[in-house]
Amino acid sequence: MSEVRITGGCQCGAVRYALHEQPTNPHICHCRMCQKAFGSFFAPLFSVSVDAFAVTRGELAIFMSSDVAERGFCRACGTPLTIHDVGDATICVSIGSLDEPAKLAPAHQYGVEARMPYFAALATLPGETTTEDDIPGKAATIARTNHQHPDHDTAAWPPVRPDNRHD
Amino acid sequence: MTGEGLTGGCQCGAVRFHVGGLGRGSICHCRMCQKQFGAFYGPLITSKDLTWTRGEPKWFRSSNKARRGFCADCGTPLGYQPDGEAVELAIGAFDDPAAAAPSIQVNPNDKLSFVDGLPTLPMRGAVDSPQLAAFNASVISYQHPDHDTAAWPRPGGLPS
Repeated sequence: MSEVRITGGCQCGAVRYALHEQPTNPHICHCRMCQKAFGSFFAPLFSVSVDAFAVTRGELAIFMSSDVAERGFCRACGTPLTIHDVGDATICVSIGSLDEPAKLAPAHQYGVEARMPYFAALATLPGETTTEDDIPGKAATIARTNHQHPDHDTAAWPPVRPDNRHD
Repeated sequence: MTGEGLTGGCQCGAVRFHVGGLGRGSICHCRMCQKQFGAFYGPLITSKDLTWTRGEPKWFRSSNKARRGFCADCGTPLGYQPDGEAVELAIGAFDDPAAAAPSIQVNPNDKLSFVDGLPTLPMRGAVDSPQLAAFNASVISYQHPDHDTAAWPRPGGLPS
């Protein structure tokens, strides 16, 4: 019962993974390479031993962003999943791909030389009502036809349903 | 600033884009955006007069109302497009993301509790580690530069 099993995967569910030890060093990295790999302001990552990281469905597509680093993603939906320095005993995994990202708050920032000038102000941006408030009909349709993999392991994917188009 | 538009693209450079102008920039906290970006939110800005100037994104149909684009070669999330509307581009994919600042947060229902505290986290890395700074300086990046290029991959090619 004490065996660790923490799961995650890409948006479409073609790639799923499991951790068999607790993640360490949750952080965000602002470097320009992480920004580009994630199309964002920073990459949110944690570390885990390569031996304790198992791809349980599908496989990682790899882009060598330099001779040092392999960046893994889902070839079917694009979700950024991993960064692994070749030969390193640990691998970094994206926090947002975890089924329960809320459980892993980052503790540090790296690569701050490339931090966006507006990063500190993001928290002060005005909020807005939700999709469910704004467009309840459309939100209901999205919920009914959502092609995102659920935030838990599934026996088979894609599910058998006629509208599950992956175009 | 938008007279000549703005450019951007994916990490490897297989997909490049140009926009004539920008609409609203946002960070979207919904779980669909979290998953697309493998992150805490989707940083997106509405494009005006978008042209794919090299390659095109691959699209994942995330629901029957929208699709999400990325580079099939390197995975960079590139955008989100509700059916019949303009593409919202991933802000980090711009060559100069500082010029595409978000102005609003949307879908706060799924907002992760630690997001607002991120800017105050202690800083680590090259700023306080000469060893890491030296390592970073030794890396030869295969990332596309932050400007348009006449040809890509660069002469000599990328590793397979």
